Amino acid sequence: MSLERKDEYDHDAWMQKRDLTAVESIYLTVLIYLDKRLRIVDYLELLEDLYYKVNMQMPKSHTEQYNLDNKFWYWYPLYALGSFSTIAYVVAAISGALLGFYYAPAAAAANGEPSVAYNSILFIMGDLNLGFFLRSLHRWSAQIMVAAVFLHMLRVYFTGAYKEPRELNWILGIVLISLTMVFGYTGYLLPWSQLSFWAGQIGVEMSLSVPLVGEYVAQLLFGGYTLTQATLQRMYILHVFFLPFIVTLLIAVHIGIVWMQGIAEPH
Amino acid sequence: MTEDTNTTTDASHDPADEREVRTDGGDEEVSADGSGIVPPDDETPTWSERKTRTQGLSRVTYEYFERARREDQDLRQQSSYVERDVLAFPAWPHEMIRNLALTSFFVGLIVMLAALVPPHLPNPADSGTTPAVILPDWYLYWSFGLLKLGPLNPELSLLGGQVLLADRTYGVLANVVVVGAIAIVPFINKGSARRPVEQPFWAAVGVGGVMFAFTIAVLAVKNIVTIYEPLLFDLTFLSPLVVATITYAILRSMREGYMFDLNRRYYRLRPPK
Repeated sequence: MSLERKDEYDHDAWMQKRDLTAVESIYLTVLIYLDKRLRIVDYLELLEDLYYKVNMQMPKSHTEQYNLDNKFWYWYPLYALGSFSTIAYVVAAISGALLGFYYAPAAAAANGEPSVAYNSILFIMGDLNLGFFLRSLHRWSAQIMVAAVFLHMLRVYFTGAYKEPRELNWILGIVLISLTMVFGYTGYLLPWSQLSFWAGQIGVEMSLSVPLVGEYVAQLLFGGYTLTQATLQRMYILHVFFLPFIVTLLIAVHIGIVWMQGIAEPH
Repeated sequence: MTEDTNTTTDASHDPADEREVRTDGGDEEVSADGSGIVPPDDETPTWSERKTRTQGLSRVTYEYFERARREDQDLRQQSSYVERDVLAFPAWPHEMIRNLALTSFFVGLIVMLAALVPPHLPNPADSGTTPAVILPDWYLYWSFGLLKLGPLNPELSLLGGQVLLADRTYGVLANVVVVGAIAIVPFINKGSARRPVEQPFWAAVGVGGVMFAFTIAVLAVKNIVTIYEPLLFDLTFLSPLVVATITYAILRSMREGYMFDLNRRYYRLRPPK
């Protein structure tokens, strides 16, 4: 990088002088336009730094050094379980957002008459084009996500991948698997069917049985000591607002730590 | 910093002094645009040099970073590994094509399941009639089973045969205990052993845990299991122990031969000096 002043910074003339393709000149025009306003050049150093960090020189991995690739990649499917649960999570998020267009968490009477919520599920499954498939897809991707998360945890346990320096990620993983199950539980209650109602009943009794703060927990999570409209409303907001933000953030941190620390290979 | 470089440029009658202070290491003019950015090179001051005047925590932080960076550098220079620019094979196209193929296959699998096995929708909620089978989703069976540990709740003679915790509190506490036990595993099991054969005890604990997750799930649905209930309750706790013991025995007997193979391959690749 030369610090000497070359010309009058006539960027247009400089571009004319160069023999640029259409793509290059459009790119440069946009870049110069943005740089004049935002001084992107000031952040180039950050980008360079990032580039060298990403392409940092790394020593040979254990498997490469001792030529254990054939032994290691044989187990590759087990090492893909974390990715699989993330993919299933994405599929569930997309299908869930589409289901959200048609679902209404309302009028949760529990007298055996179909409520608004139950009726909207009936509408999705009966009348909506592809709706039956959409709900099926959402449910199955959720099931597979949980299954993949469980198997992922077993893989990490049995290959000793939780050991130093990865203890914190193991703890984070336990938080994530718990939140995944809460995700599934809140979703299970949304159709407001018989099974939803009685699963919710168990949930309320579990929170009420917590010593000292049980009643507060029940009110906070279930909106009361019995299952009402408030319960359904809260489960809905947990399922479509709180948990998506929290879980997505934690998954990003979890994967980020794996990226920084590398995959733990069995010795 | 900008002020510093300007001052030294003014005082150019003393070249020795200037050479000492200037950190851009060249004869070129320092940029006059006020950015104060100089090209990085060997003369660039280290973080600790730049931060000598900082105090307290930030000072300590930079000193530690300096040490850590030096340690990395030393380890890299000592190592006999071949160093390359990039770890593993390229992200594009190799890794990306493999990931795309796996992802499409996996999404296709979900779509196929969703199309072939649609979900069931039970009757609408009715608080008046309790259904015969109350169940959460399958992945919560273990938790549901832990709520049914009433028979294990100790009756304390101090309290005149009363239980300290209500049965349902006891069940919720059991959930906390199980999750807590899993969480502290990395802090109990240390060392470099990774494969199950290297650590038969922990592998046995794991297999026993998986078995317990299964048996406690069966206990959760005890009203539709046709096994005599006290027997089912005992089996819930005994079978994980039995399975764990068998696992331990098998892995222990495998260990010697397995480690022999592993060590032979290791020493064939890296003969002892």
